[in-house]
Amino acid sequence: MTWVFDAPLHTLTHAETVAKNKALWEAEDLGGMTEDNNRLPVPVVVLVLLTVITAFLTTIPLWGQRPTAAIYVDYIKVMDTPEIVAIQGAQGDAAAMKRIVELNKNSAFESQQGRHPVTMDDLRILKPQIEELMKIPNIDLRDYTVVGPEVKIANFEGNYRENGKRVRQQPFWDKGYTIDVFYLTMFFVGVTITMKRLPENTWQPRHHGH
Amino acid sequence: MILKYLFAKNEAIPVGSSAIFFGFSAIVWFMIGTGLGSFNAAKLAFPDFVTGTEMFAFGHMRQVHVLAVIFGWISMAFAMAMMYITPILGNTRLWSEKLGLWNCMMWNVCLLAGLSLMWMGVTSGREYSDFPWPLDLAVAVFISIPLAINVWMTIINRRTQGIYTTNWFFAASTFMLIIVFLVGNLPEYFHLTGLTEAYMTWWFAHNVLGLWITPVAAAIAYYVIPKVTGNPLYSHRIGHLHFWSIVVFYSTPAAHHLMSAPLPEWLKSFASVEGVLILVPAIAFVSNILLTMQGKWNMFVENLEVRFTVVGVLLAIPLNMQGGFQQTRSINWYIHGTGWMVAHAHLALLGFSTFLEAAAVYLGLQTLMKRKLYSLTLGNLHFWLLLIGFSTYWVSMTIAGLIQGAGKIYEVPYIDVVIAEHPYMIARWLGGTMVFSSTILWLYNMWMTAREGTPIPAGRMPHELAYER
Repeated sequence: MTWVFDAPLHTLTHAETVAKNKALWEAEDLGGMTEDNNRLPVPVVVLVLLTVITAFLTTIPLWGQRPTAAIYVDYIKVMDTPEIVAIQGAQGDAAAMKRIVELNKNSAFESQQGRHPVTMDDLRILKPQIEELMKIPNIDLRDYTVVGPEVKIANFEGNYRENGKRVRQQPFWDKGYTIDVFYLTMFFVGVTITMKRLPENTWQPRHHGH
Repeated sequence: MILKYLFAKNEAIPVGSSAIFFGFSAIVWFMIGTGLGSFNAAKLAFPDFVTGTEMFAFGHMRQVHVLAVIFGWISMAFAMAMMYITPILGNTRLWSEKLGLWNCMMWNVCLLAGLSLMWMGVTSGREYSDFPWPLDLAVAVFISIPLAINVWMTIINRRTQGIYTTNWFFAASTFMLIIVFLVGNLPEYFHLTGLTEAYMTWWFAHNVLGLWITPVAAAIAYYVIPKVTGNPLYSHRIGHLHFWSIVVFYSTPAAHHLMSAPLPEWLKSFASVEGVLILVPAIAFVSNILLTMQGKWNMFVENLEVRFTVVGVLLAIPLNMQGGFQQTRSINWYIHGTGWMVAHAHLALLGFSTFLEAAAVYLGLQTLMKRKLYSLTLGNLHFWLLLIGFSTYWVSMTIAGLIQGAGKIYEVPYIDVVIAEHPYMIARWLGGTMVFSSTILWLYNMWMTAREGTPIPAGRMPHELAYER
């Protein structure tokens, strides 16, 4: 057995095997080619870790998602209230819209509302369509996206609900990401084991006696 | 000359014959491929250029260009590198020069047959695997399997205990190519259609790049830089990181080519993360090679093979930065189906990999023929024409792609986009034609090297004599 596990972060290889490997490394001539035993430079390690973080951050389908009908429901509910109508009459649409946004500051959809701002004209076009949808029992308006002036069923097809209809909402995390985490874990464990089987990086081979 | 050895006994065939056969075949196919590319680019730059003949229509010519370059130039240059480097690293001879010669012969025959049929319109219509299925099988039987057998048997029969990094990549890639080729063409054998066919097509296309072209090109750099500079490879460990990250991260992101297709969203999420993780092998590869250059950067200026190799390695940086991020949902939305992708494909095949293969062919042919390069001036001219021609092509097509992307998003009338990108189509043609011209010079230079190159004394390397008269 050439494996040792008493100091796994140090080495996983028995001292005798390491000695044999070192001798072979120095003596063997692979067509005149030689290799050093340098460690992974710190910048390389940092870049690899940065790549892993970036991979998840840039691919999560949060970016570039279309607005859903749900994020404008609160806007629509207040747009005909006496306060908004009064502001609209006295100061115009822009001021009224600003007040609508202020009134919904603590909305669950605040961040999405911020990413997909609308004008009063937009709301006037969306309002009848969203109100029509709200008449449907048990409807989830997050299943509908706003595409320009129209409210459409989202083209994402998720799992089936109990009522037989599909979920139409893209999650920010799905099993694809879970598989990625599994892959990454296996990869880093595998590569670490491979490297810990090599002679320690404090040792450098002397090539052809140099 | 080579043909007479096809029926000779293996022992009677001079060492390196098959590598030389592959090397010259590769250059000839590169000339054909880039010539076709220049012709096709002219059709886009000047719409009235050669019209009225179906065979010369862009739709017929484009895929002939693509496959001539991938399976003629790139893959045959890889085979040349394997026939030359694999035995050297094992301190042995190639397992069978005869198999190598027949392999090269049949490779040329199959490619000629396949490209001729495609030119006449007989095609499966699947990107990168356009040959009709009987030819796909012929390619597996006469091209990829014999190549793998020769490489594997040479490694198995090596006279060393260890296996150098380059040979890990050669062995794994030749094995994977067989799998990729046979599985990737399943839709043609079993008439699979729809989304299954689309996914399989891009699984094939992605893995030809990821498990064949990228690792073999990298393997060449792992040989050329330490060999020519005399430096040890900087880190055996980084080699491990590179090899295993290619295996894990490059084999899985095929679905990122179909981000707008109705594939399962989780598959796209998975593939997209893996797509960015392609940067891991790239970081490992580039850092390992550039750190190996320490103390020998003068050779980047002075030595032709090192210059070709280092430029190829440096081009891996923009290549993988583009490749990693252009497939994410948000960026793919903008550039998918535009000239950006054409520019990226040329960055991979004409930039990154071609420069590395050219280095292998220069070094290998001189070493095996024991002849010094006929003209270093022509070699330098080849390098600069190739670099400037490629850069012109890449930059112009990248700009054209961004214009097309904007036109797509803002629903600009198609004809307005065509007019806007016209100057870049002319630049593309100029760049492509420079590459074609450089290849003619290269073929001449290597041919003259074979005929009139100064003999290299035993025990010396060609680069040691480059500046000696």
